[in-house]
Amino acid sequence: MRISSLQKWFIVGFASLLGFTLFILPVIASSIYSFQEPGDKGYTFKSYTWLLDQDGFFSSMGTSLKLAVLAGVINISLMVPTMVYLNLKGQKFKSLVDFICILPLVIPVVSLAIGAQNAMPSFLQNSQYELVFFFVIIGLPFTYRTLDTSLQAISLKTLVEASRSLGASWIRTIIRVIVPAIRGGITGALFLTFALSIGEYTITSLLHWETFPTWTVVASQQNILGAIALSVFSFVGAIALLSIIALFSKKGVRQAEAEK
Amino acid sequence: MSKKDRVSSTLELRGVSRHFGPVKALDGLDLVVAPGELVALLGPSGCGKTTALRIVAGLEVATSGDLLVNGERYNDVAANARDMGMVFQSYSLFPNLSVSENIEYGLRARKIGTAERSKRVAQMLELVALESKAKAFPHQLSGGQQQRVALARALAIEPRVLLLDEPLSALDAQVRGQIREEIRRIQLELGITTLFVTHDQEEAMTIADRVGVMSQGRLEQIDTPDVLYNHPATNFVASFVGVMNKISSQISDGQVEIFGKRLKATKSEKSAGQVYALIRPEAIIVKTNTSNSNAKVLTRSFLGASSNIVCQLSDGTIVQSLMTSAGSGDLHPGSTVELEVTTSEVLVTYD
Repeated sequence: MRISSLQKWFIVGFASLLGFTLFILPVIASSIYSFQEPGDKGYTFKSYTWLLDQDGFFSSMGTSLKLAVLAGVINISLMVPTMVYLNLKGQKFKSLVDFICILPLVIPVVSLAIGAQNAMPSFLQNSQYELVFFFVIIGLPFTYRTLDTSLQAISLKTLVEASRSLGASWIRTIIRVIVPAIRGGITGALFLTFALSIGEYTITSLLHWETFPTWTVVASQQNILGAIALSVFSFVGAIALLSIIALFSKKGVRQAEAEK
Repeated sequence: MSKKDRVSSTLELRGVSRHFGPVKALDGLDLVVAPGELVALLGPSGCGKTTALRIVAGLEVATSGDLLVNGERYNDVAANARDMGMVFQSYSLFPNLSVSENIEYGLRARKIGTAERSKRVAQMLELVALESKAKAFPHQLSGGQQQRVALARALAIEPRVLLLDEPLSALDAQVRGQIREEIRRIQLELGITTLFVTHDQEEAMTIADRVGVMSQGRLEQIDTPDVLYNHPATNFVASFVGVMNKISSQISDGQVEIFGKRLKATKSEKSAGQVYALIRPEAIIVKTNTSNSNAKVLTRSFLGASSNIVCQLSDGTIVQSLMTSAGSGDLHPGSTVELEVTTSEVLVTYD
């Protein structure tokens, strides 16, 4: 069935309207509301300054960023060599590793958090860095798939063999050949782990650590306007982060293209 | 880098086997490639030729047997320490690196200084006539250009041995011939010991000093293209290299009768009974205006100076003949003709 241009415009228009009412409108409304002075006395930054004045705003955000970056980096450093090995030589282990990487989605977070914490060495149990390991684990299902897809899209075996026969070590091969060839997949996997980690609430809360999400819950219970300001802030922050990362990966691509 | 300042290596395989469980991909291969020689390994897919090449490159491990370069045992040398330049079938250029960077890759891995690196990259680009593409990326090159870069990259490290794994099979027919000539020219210019793997007999015959025909993991025969074509050692070689007619006959006293002529059967183990004679198309001539007709012309294909005439014998056997176009002008599909053999010796087979 051919869609006429009129029908096309109708579909696009309807989707935009739906998106606007369900998504953009509430954001605009809460943004406006978060700038309102209680009692209809005009606009103010009061809710935001209140937010910044709260104890733990900066420290919890710092913790979250730190843990999320660590989790992303550890996840990638662990998964890139693993996925390369699985796709090159370890085909028979692939379904097993796939299964293991899916587990974090299947196991209830409560049992994961409590169970895994018991298995950790005590110096980690008493440190907020234990969260990094949980964040790495919950990122696994996503990194597995993202990296696997991008590795299958390149002629991995030939590239590796070419690199080896030219005298390159395994480390050089991974850094100079494989990583650049699957840069898109790595950026995606990194971002997914980062995003999952920075928004993780359940495990952090169960293990009584303070990160930005747990701090948000506590803080928003004290001031309704502050809570709305917080959600607007988080939303804008997330969009900004996304754009920066998109820009970074595009910049890389453009740079490569410019060199051509 | 010219012939003078490099020492060519000898490559030797001694009883090299590679078994995958019960499957013998390579079954005791003995091969010596002399310094500066180009040897082609030819055979159908699954004959073990690629396995042999990969064992030489260190990308595959031999189950038994020895690999020697200049008399030195290479079995346990890692792939990245072998100094072997390898050109793959396709898609082997690093997509994120430019042409120069691809050529430079092996030199960087060897920690060669910047000045020497750029000098050698320039030499290599000149060698494959791609100076203008130095800054291009692989996806901007044609298939033929990509393979030339792959060749330049493999040669830049001044390898002991050059390994070519069906480097032409992904290319268009026209480009294939061109790159083939270029590979041969460069190989002769540098005098580099080369092992070339292909399933295309024309490719092997035109490029190589010697051709090794392989079947089921074994080397059937290795010799110059001339000998291989005119004196095939086995039936497999006879039928795999070039076109071969297979004509049913009876053998007696070491002789077979073909089209009324008695021919000496070479290498026959049978003294009497049913055999097939193997005869090249150019050893058969088609005669018209004869009372002794024994065949019918099916088609005549004009190939330029020569023509290929396909005939059918009364028992249904198809026979091909290669004649000069001038001498076969009066042959038309349907005409009854007499076939004649011009050789006096013939190879026979029993199945």
